[in-house]
Amino acid sequence: MTTAPTNAASAEVTAIDTSARWPLLLLFWSAIKWLVLSGGLALVTSIQLIKPSFFADCAWLTYGRAQALQETAFIYGWAANAGLAVALWVLGRLGGAPLRALNWVVVGTIFWNIAVALGCLGIATGEATSIAFLQLPRAVQPLMLVAYAAIGVAGILAWTGRRVACTYAAQWYALAALLLFPWIFSAAQVMLLWMPSRGVLQAVAAGWFAQGAWTLWLAPLGLAGAYYVVPKITGRALPSYDFAPHAFWALLVLGAWTAGRHLVGGPVPAWIASVAIVSCALLLFHYFVVGLNLRGALGGGGTALKFISFGLAAYVAGGFLDAITAFRDVARITQFTLFDAAQQQLALSGGLSMIFVGVIYYALPRLTGRAWFSAAFVRGHLALALLGVLLLVGSLAMAGWIQGHDLNNAKVSFADLAAHLRPWLLAAAAAQALLLLGHLIFAVNFLFTAAQACPFGSPFAKPADPSLFRQPSTLEAPAS
Amino acid sequence: MKNGFVFFLGLFAALAFSWGGVLLANKQLGALVPYYDDTESKAFPDRPPGIAARGQLVYADLGCAACHTQAVRRPGFGGDQARGWGERQSVARDYIFQTRPQLGASRLGPDLTNLAGRKPSAPDAEDLLKLLYTGQGAMPGYSFLFTERAVVGEPSAKALKFTGKLAAASGREIVPTERAQSLVAHLLSLNNVYDYPEARPMPKTEEKKEGGHGAAPAKKEEARK
Repeated sequence: MTTAPTNAASAEVTAIDTSARWPLLLLFWSAIKWLVLSGGLALVTSIQLIKPSFFADCAWLTYGRAQALQETAFIYGWAANAGLAVALWVLGRLGGAPLRALNWVVVGTIFWNIAVALGCLGIATGEATSIAFLQLPRAVQPLMLVAYAAIGVAGILAWTGRRVACTYAAQWYALAALLLFPWIFSAAQVMLLWMPSRGVLQAVAAGWFAQGAWTLWLAPLGLAGAYYVVPKITGRALPSYDFAPHAFWALLVLGAWTAGRHLVGGPVPAWIASVAIVSCALLLFHYFVVGLNLRGALGGGGTALKFISFGLAAYVAGGFLDAITAFRDVARITQFTLFDAAQQQLALSGGLSMIFVGVIYYALPRLTGRAWFSAAFVRGHLALALLGVLLLVGSLAMAGWIQGHDLNNAKVSFADLAAHLRPWLLAAAAAQALLLLGHLIFAVNFLFTAAQACPFGSPFAKPADPSLFRQPSTLEAPAS
Repeated sequence: MKNGFVFFLGLFAALAFSWGGVLLANKQLGALVPYYDDTESKAFPDRPPGIAARGQLVYADLGCAACHTQAVRRPGFGGDQARGWGERQSVARDYIFQTRPQLGASRLGPDLTNLAGRKPSAPDAEDLLKLLYTGQGAMPGYSFLFTERAVVGEPSAKALKFTGKLAAASGREIVPTERAQSLVAHLLSLNNVYDYPEARPMPKTEEKKEGGHGAAPAKKEEARK
């Protein structure tokens, strides 16, 4: 389907990309708006940990609600929109045919974002469900399912109508994520919101959903992008690719079983925690193979690859950290502390976000046919994001470790505990400020770049940079 | 993975496998009933009063679980017992009457499982209302759960009795809203006193640990005879 390039800039811009340009840009832009909002809310909550009176008089932004809002904006705003766009783009390109049902994608995107915005309004006004990863009020959730289906249908059509018989790891991950989310989302809704199960079984079901949303939906979306873009940029076949299917199935089969590690010592049957600890250890195989397959990303290259390689390193490190903290002797210290928050940030801000951002840095010039508006902004974003994530995860982990030891020592009062945590929480707040600044730079750069491709002309238009694209022959290295 | 249908079935099977775990837990605990104690002629746990159940919804919508857990870990596993949060671990039966159990995942503040049974002195409604209004340490004040209004006729019996800086201006009073009152009712209902059989440590493991003391020595003596 590749049309003959007329100049360097359009070398990599195929009919597949140009036809999907505006629907995918809409998804990406919706995602980035939520990323900025979630970054702002993260800064608010991290300041509240240092100065509890910050926004305390404002019912909408009291700590518990601000945190629920931040989490929701990140997952259902940023990660969902960006991940869907990545999945559609990967499935379209590897399928070898322009995406179909793109009208549905646009309608679905609009309604998905309306639903999430209404849901956030609901959380702010006191309708939150108080279930982690599923804070959105139940009234908007059916609408989200329908909107998701409207977006996802383009991906399914790209898979069924693919022109190439063989399939690639990026496609498996993208398709699995597209199909599995509606299943876990609707099952969780039934078990938690429409016909709530009894007592602590809600905690079991909520844990299954939260872990499922990560291992069956978000992580596969990130991996779909990484498995597609890394060989494209490095121009080399993936090493040890024969293991990739095993890693894929290991994640799908074992992933959601690891949920019980948060319930170690909790009021649930002990087998739930035991199975989770074993699953965490077995899942190391998945992380190991992902690291093995995509180790070429660490070799350097452009900004996009730097984001993705950092994201992959964080993803693999997060998997190992999950396995270590699952053990009961470690959980005794880290459970219920900021160490959990550090692990979550490592996975979401460090792993997932960085991979998505890297894929966007790679995809946007190809979708628009224009170079990024400002190379300095790109470098600035990279520096801020790297510094921000490292500082955030490091300081939260230290805070969590201290908190865990202090909590287990009954002689330490909560006032002393707060004093011990303070320097680390200050560092975490500074890290959130860095990340927010990075998000803002990214958003501005994205907007100006997309505006260049506007058919009505744009004040920001500038000539395409031929050095941005390499020769198609080197780029079309097989993805497997 | 060339065959789309088999791939689809594989995805479904992988998902159903882990969901099976949730169903298994449901099978195990879904029909948990209150425990009837013959000596006390009473079933435990108590059903919380309606206002406390409403208060739990306030607890949920304010996101209190972002800082407070409601689950005590067993003695010896962490410092829960030493901190006076509970003499026994929380068990599934403690939660069967709660519409939305708030186990929580973060302890920036203390665990609240047995707040109403704290020793030596448990907080009363007035303490909790004042705490909610002013905040303390790392906990913010929730002044939006209270209304400040002019005293008309008799002052309200529910008005917060502050002295000094916090006291309301003369002719005005600070009154808890209905939400604040139900939240406090919920907090005052948090006290799992009853010692269920499943909450006690397993006797078998104790025997092993202590090298066969307890019930075992009697048998040994018999054997010697």
